[in-house]
Amino acid sequence: MLRFLKKYINYLLLLIIIILITYLLINRQKQQEFSRDLYYMDTYINVRIFSKNKEKAQTALNEIENIYKEYHMLSDKYNNYKDIINIYYINTNYDKDKYLKIDTKLYDLINYGLDFYDKSNGLLNINMGSITDIWKKYRDKGTSLPTKEELQKQNTDIKKIILKDGQILNNRPNIDLGAISKGYTTKIVGEYLNSIGLDKYIINAGGNVLVGKHYNKGKYRIGIQSPNKDDGLIDVINAENISVVTSGSYERFYEIDGKIYSHIIDPTTLYPSAYMKSVTVITKDSALADALSTTLFLMDIDKGLKFLENYEAEAIWYTNDNQIITSKGIDKYEEK
Amino acid sequence: MKKSDVILIITILIISSLIMLIWFKKKEGNKAIVYYDSKAILQLDLKQNGIYEVEGAKGKVKIEVNSHGVRVVAENSPYHICSRQGYIKKSYETIVCLPNKIVIKIANEEIDTVVR
Repeated sequence: MLRFLKKYINYLLLLIIIILITYLLINRQKQQEFSRDLYYMDTYINVRIFSKNKEKAQTALNEIENIYKEYHMLSDKYNNYKDIINIYYINTNYDKDKYLKIDTKLYDLINYGLDFYDKSNGLLNINMGSITDIWKKYRDKGTSLPTKEELQKQNTDIKKIILKDGQILNNRPNIDLGAISKGYTTKIVGEYLNSIGLDKYIINAGGNVLVGKHYNKGKYRIGIQSPNKDDGLIDVINAENISVVTSGSYERFYEIDGKIYSHIIDPTTLYPSAYMKSVTVITKDSALADALSTTLFLMDIDKGLKFLENYEAEAIWYTNDNQIITSKGIDKYEEK
Repeated sequence: MKKSDVILIITILIISSLIMLIWFKKKEGNKAIVYYDSKAILQLDLKQNGIYEVEGAKGKVKIEVNSHGVRVVAENSPYHICSRQGYIKKSYETIVCLPNKIVIKIANEEIDTVVR
């Protein structure tokens, strides 16, 4: 045995060295995917980061969970949290104080909503909380429609929301940030990831997709699901550093007497918008993509095409009779 | 070259190629992966019919695989959204059992993510 070892010790050492070097090479170069599923803002959120640095990626995932959790609590209009002034608190507060001091993050988010009210000529209205509540109640039951009177007696005037120096006027508005909070928070998460150098990522927050740089040399392939559940994809977007957001999901609607009622309510009629089955917006900024997709869902397609010219953004409409209409620049995202 | 040298070289070659095989083993298609709270807990071979049970946040989640694809047949949740969803089969489809923190995805190489 000893003689055998002596004779072959060089070969054995060589073998061990070859294995070690190969192992090190493979492990050093390997970029891994780190993924986490989150459940906030009434939706399933999946975050994937591509990095060689495991610890950094895990720390980032924890921080991202904190960001979504914090914005979830701040924008929550159904629940109260200890020591947090959130939308529920603002909407239901009876204190005598004239103004409420609110977290800068919430202040900026509400401000974003107010700003987009002007940009969308009043179509994106974040003071529709009582209306969306009524529709949600009827949608959950799924058997009837609310009456006009019930809807019309709600106050949806945007002027009820007044921000001033980090404070909000304490006059019980009906704020609902559902149309902007997911895209806005996802934008914050993307900025955070870019700032710490983890710029290869895919974030999918229930209809809000934001991708960073590609993990390899290619481009991300982002599928757009047909609003008719069993039809598969209507298009595939090839891009990096882009956000893709769809409004008008097949998951949140209900049907009365053969008519479909979506979950996006038109502030001018107080009824669900029915211009199309879905609209998808493609643009760099995921907050803008979210706000734009809601706004376009509330316009007919011709108006939408015109409105879109104000932005560096593209859109894909899926009409009620299952036609696909796209804005002019969409071909730059299509596979060549 | 002695006979023993030849044997040794062949042995080294076999061992190295085995190691390479394990390291570079390609991921096969036609698989579904079941996650609980972000962690992959089960891989399902879509060619193999079967019934599986995993532990969700609200109890057992029963998953069926057959020629139609993968579906959730039973779970405990208020609206049973994921068991009402039916089968998924295509490479980008997902079943989300939110209250149970269970996610089932069809493994895919073609599409990176899907907006719906």
